[in-house]
Amino acid sequence: MTRHDDSDLRLLERDLTALAAPRDDDERLRRTLRDELQAALRPQPIRRRFPRRVATATAAAIVAAAAVVLVATVGTNGSGGPAVASAAIVHHALAAVTPPANQILHTEVVGVQNGVTVVGETWQQTSPPYASRGIKGLAGHGSEFSDDGTTSYAYDPVTNTIDEQPDSSPPTFADPMSQIRAELARGQASVVGTVTIGGASLYKLALPHGVVGYFDQTDYRARYLDDPQHDGSVVRLRVAAYEYLPMTPDNRALLSVTAQHPRARIVVSSAAASAASGK
Amino acid sequence: MNANALADAHPVQAGRVDADAELVAAARTNPREFLALYERYFDRVLGYARLRIRDPATCEDVTSRVFTTALEQIHRFRGEGSFAAWLFQIARNTVRDAQRQRPTEPLAEDRPATDPTPEESVLERERARHLHALIRLLRPEQQHLLALRYGAGLPYEEIGLMLGSAPATVRVRMHRILEELRLRYSDDQA
Repeated sequence: MTRHDDSDLRLLERDLTALAAPRDDDERLRRTLRDELQAALRPQPIRRRFPRRVATATAAAIVAAAAVVLVATVGTNGSGGPAVASAAIVHHALAAVTPPANQILHTEVVGVQNGVTVVGETWQQTSPPYASRGIKGLAGHGSEFSDDGTTSYAYDPVTNTIDEQPDSSPPTFADPMSQIRAELARGQASVVGTVTIGGASLYKLALPHGVVGYFDQTDYRARYLDDPQHDGSVVRLRVAAYEYLPMTPDNRALLSVTAQHPRARIVVSSAAASAASGK
Repeated sequence: MNANALADAHPVQAGRVDADAELVAAARTNPREFLALYERYFDRVLGYARLRIRDPATCEDVTSRVFTTALEQIHRFRGEGSFAAWLFQIARNTVRDAQRQRPTEPLAEDRPATDPTPEESVLERERARHLHALIRLLRPEQQHLLALRYGAGLPYEEIGLMLGSAPATVRVRMHRILEELRLRYSDDQA
């Protein structure tokens, strides 16, 4: 190793440490989280400070909630008309993204961020144990992972290895459409107009946190999502695939990294994983 | 190679493992005692999250989830390994879950923070973004190891205890990870 290499390593170590360096508002965060832990220690269920960004409700719960929302929306509208129409659109949009039980939901979203194409593709059981496999990241270079309900797997194409570790929490139903689905079900979506993108006529539905969903006017399928970024920019994701697959043996194999890469070497993580998972 | 350069950047107090055992026992008897463990590990868990996740809000979310999960699960911790090993395994799983819950990974992690931070006064924003992206190219086990060392600031001896490996073995593994990262980092800087 040369002196130049040694210097590079020191710079690298410095930069790595800087990524995790303390920040001015850490003390505020420390106090906030401590207050929440103290609140949780009182005789009541533990509440998380930050709402999960992705819905964890089951499809059945979502549909039930949606029915309530729809009735409430229509019922409070004295004159009918546009509000009822909006409620109907939301209802149809929700139905279009609510999967049936005992299927495999296959989704793919594609977007461009900072000039780079990013892709997220998932396959997931629509009923417990919600086994899933996903590929996310830069197009052609995404990370691949799966979870069968008790064990999670991550595939490394460079070394052709699969990292296996016990899961710490039961899998949830969390495909790329989860946030949209949950907000629709909660009645947090509003129809703000119609637009034409790529020749398709779409309903534009505004959701909390600046998220926008675009649903086809003919069949209510989700076609695009606008995902706002912290810097004020918006990344538009095209829904390239949204389909339900039957639970055939071939399709089941789509849920498993080990089935997709049968020749990969499996590396089991440390014993600490078992202790942490409690399984 | 000078992998020891930051060996004492975040020194762990002598006898801490024993102190953890006492606090864990106290927390299992009286959950309010868990707050002492929280105070002891808050900085390290937050640092761990920051090394693996770029988005500040997600780092805070992960840190919150790690401690609420640990509080919920503390009765299940049997003490077969160290509390730190158990806690950072929860952190590892929580980071993994967070990384999977967004439609596409870069949207969640590569976006710049709104406000300037001390980190960005040292590292240019673009370099930090590149470094995070390169870390994500490592295997999950490698990312975990890197975050234990440079995020949580744990010494090799403690990481070795966590992983059931000799400190020398951890050093060798870390050396390989840094070399792999350095080559990619150098290419990007060139």
